Amino acid sequence: MRAGKKLTRVFRAMVGRSYPRIIGSNRDKSWLFYDTVLPLLGTVAFVYVYKALGAPERFIGYVIMGGATTAFWMNVMWSMAAQFYWEKQGGNLELYMMMPCGLTPILLGMSLGGLVATLLRAILIVSLGSLLFHVSYTLPQVPLFLLIFTITIIALYGLGVVFASLFLFWGREAWHTVNLFMEPVFLASGFYFPVRALGFWVGLGASIIPLTLGLDAMRQLLFAGMHPALLPVEVELAILGFVAILFILLARHLLQKMEYLARREGRLSLRF
Amino acid sequence: MGVRAVRVSSERSLQRLWRTFAVAYWLGWQIESNWTDPLLFLIYSVIRPLGGVLILAVMFFVVARGARGPVLGFFVTGTAFWPFVVMAMQGMAMGVLADREHWKTLRYIYSAPISYRAYLVGRSLAQATSALAAMAITLLFGRWVLGIPLYFSTIRPLVLLPAFLLGIAGIVAMGLLITSALTWTSREAWRLPEAVGAALYLLCGVIFPTTVLPRGLQMLSMGIPLTWWLEAMRRGLLGEHALLSFPWASDARVLGTLAMLVAVWIIGAGFAFTCAEFRARALGILDQETGH
Repeated sequence: MRAGKKLTRVFRAMVGRSYPRIIGSNRDKSWLFYDTVLPLLGTVAFVYVYKALGAPERFIGYVIMGGATTAFWMNVMWSMAAQFYWEKQGGNLELYMMMPCGLTPILLGMSLGGLVATLLRAILIVSLGSLLFHVSYTLPQVPLFLLIFTITIIALYGLGVVFASLFLFWGREAWHTVNLFMEPVFLASGFYFPVRALGFWVGLGASIIPLTLGLDAMRQLLFAGMHPALLPVEVELAILGFVAILFILLARHLLQKMEYLARREGRLSLRF
Repeated sequence: MGVRAVRVSSERSLQRLWRTFAVAYWLGWQIESNWTDPLLFLIYSVIRPLGGVLILAVMFFVVARGARGPVLGFFVTGTAFWPFVVMAMQGMAMGVLADREHWKTLRYIYSAPISYRAYLVGRSLAQATSALAAMAITLLFGRWVLGIPLYFSTIRPLVLLPAFLLGIAGIVAMGLLITSALTWTSREAWRLPEAVGAALYLLCGVIFPTTVLPRGLQMLSMGIPLTWWLEAMRRGLLGEHALLSFPWASDARVLGTLAMLVAVWIIGAGFAFTCAEFRARALGILDQETGH
């Protein structure tokens, strides 16, 4: 009975936290411009780089996929990892701390809300980009593609929670660190080119970021026979599954540890 | 006596402008850099541009399969100078937003007996200073690691120096224009500077020659000083080895167009800022917070 109540509380907190991200943010339609046109502009710039280089068409497909993936990475870093920093600045973090559900459902709600909103935006980016540059894809293995995507996203948001727990402790450094994790991650994970181009071992090292293997596996399915793979799809899927479990466990452990440290050192309500 | 009084008054007002500028510069630099130690700040400043240039270099090598060409020099120079736009133009707008919505100090700064424009220019140039390290390291990386044809013999100081100064003036003017727009923008004000930056990244020939763009966008890009600035910087650094967006134009024409466009944009930005300031004061929304 008590476990049932606890689960209900967790579920309600999760839905409550995801509400502003799914429903609230859609009330103002300006997101349509800022969240689709804006990432598309950056993506289009890279498409023109390949056009200037006279690259084959599949490279344009790479860039469009990379652009959509950027939306997920930005969401995880700015709206998951750094979110507690914003909440601290806004004075909400203390309120979250006092709630009887704990921080985990809040983070789950943030992930759920962020995921739904970002998925919608990523679909728009891929659709608009593909229409604009006449890119076509063949996808014979839809269930496998969806499985890879799902596991990648679970691992990615797990990583987001790991960062969120670390940033719970930080002040302005959090903002700068998130800023730092943009271009270097786009490079290491092969957002705009096959990650194999960096060499096998570098690509394997970058696999700690779930998007590296996720993107490579999805590209193998979309551009079958043409994409220089890092590892076979099945192996990448297995590694992704392992990384997802690892990040979820690590996130849970770190969240508890960092919350304790932040409480002990009195940093939870320290704004500046 | 009257003439002397006017002279003293104008000297004082110039002194006050300078003092405002200097203090704003110092403040901007502190905000920008004092969150960590200098070495970490230097590393932080150069990692993003280096990441950017490496992405482009890998894209190039993937397609060119190991061959080298003038396009690498194009990538390196564009990526080396882009941080000035991000820091000075976007930074000025973000600084105003931070003053208004985060630190909540805008009303005190604005009501102080200082020139608010001098304050904004000081903050913007402090941000631009932090882009210098990124520029230097990116160019050195391009020269020594990627092997772009950047030598003392290819550098043309008479093109490079005036172009650099004009470009910075143009970037500050664009920052002032975005700052004006912020008083008209609700809720998404934080994202507006980034949106403008992304549009300019696409339009201004930062990472590919504007000749690749559709005709309409090419025309649009020619009206933006940044396009001519980057063109002049490439000519000033790489000389004859530069891949150009406007191969038909002479150096003098590029510099002349840049100077003319910068002047037009400065006047336009000044006018837009005056209008926005007047409207914001009339409506009482100068320090209105929008990030709900």
